[in-house]
Amino acid sequence: MYTCKDSINLLLEYLDGEMTPEEARHLKEHFAGCRPCEEFLSTYRATSGMCKRALAQRIPQEVSAKLTEFLRSKIKPAS
Amino acid sequence: MKPALTRDAATGWVRPPMSDQVDTGDDRRLLARAQDGEIAAFEALVEAHQDKVYGLALRMTRSEADAAEITQDTFLSAYQHLKDFRGEAAFGSWVHRIAANHALMRLRHRRVAQAAESELQGPEFTERGTLADYPLSDWGQNAEEKALDAELGVAIQQATDRLPEGYREVFLLKDVDGLSYEQISEATGDSIPAIKSRLHRARLALREAIEQFYQPG
Ligand SMILES: [Zn+2]
Repeated sequence: MYTCKDSINLLLEYLDGEMTPEEARHLKEHFAGCRPCEEFLSTYRATSGMCKRALAQRIPQEVSAKLTEFLRSKIKPAS
Repeated sequence: MKPALTRDAATGWVRPPMSDQVDTGDDRRLLARAQDGEIAAFEALVEAHQDKVYGLALRMTRSEADAAEITQDTFLSAYQHLKDFRGEAAFGSWVHRIAANHALMRLRHRRVAQAAESELQGPEFTERGTLADYPLSDWGQNAEEKALDAELGVAIQQATDRLPEGYREVFLLKDVDGLSYEQISEATGDSIPAIKSRLHRARLALREAIEQFYQPG
């Protein structure tokens, strides 16, 4: 039987789908009987997406304008 | 439904909305034209990918000046190697890799105050390996559909900044910028098992930070 600690150690492999069927079965059994781990999995799974949204950036317009200017100065038409 | 296009006042170009689903079919057509020497096609590719390249560089270096330069260097080197690009991969993931390499190069030349690994937070277990405390609210449910609280956004940014450098880099490159383990391994020189282990610990630490936001104290 997996403990909570075992299960949480394996979350990355589990979500990557890189476990043996045997391991995956043990893990699913643990989740099914352990509410805390089930919620832990749900929050672990949500973490990356929430971080991605919190860390999103857009290029400022003046930086974008400078980028265009820079590339045009470096790139000469072939003709 | 597609969001409306906005006109960029500085360049006069139409800026497409930032999206994860860059149309790779469009990219492929533009790339073919750019490889034939059509500069406008290359500029359209730059336009479509500049937010993500700049974002990667800014998150990695935490310097606006460095991020602007890395963005320039990335697209210039993409242009210079345009003929070598065979198009098995998407243009977007190719420029992401170039940007990651440029960003990592800068970071390697910079001495940063390292957070100690021991400061990495994670779940606590009892002696028997049982979770000591667990979420009171399952905030993972439908997280994608809910608007992200602004304060939580700041808490996440701060928690990301607190990660030890090697953990922060791996987390950003994999989970935020979507590089593969293989690509990260190539760029950093670290082994894939080492990358996975750091990614897992970084996720646990960030999960903990979000958890604390939902149930402080
Ligand atoms: Zn458990």
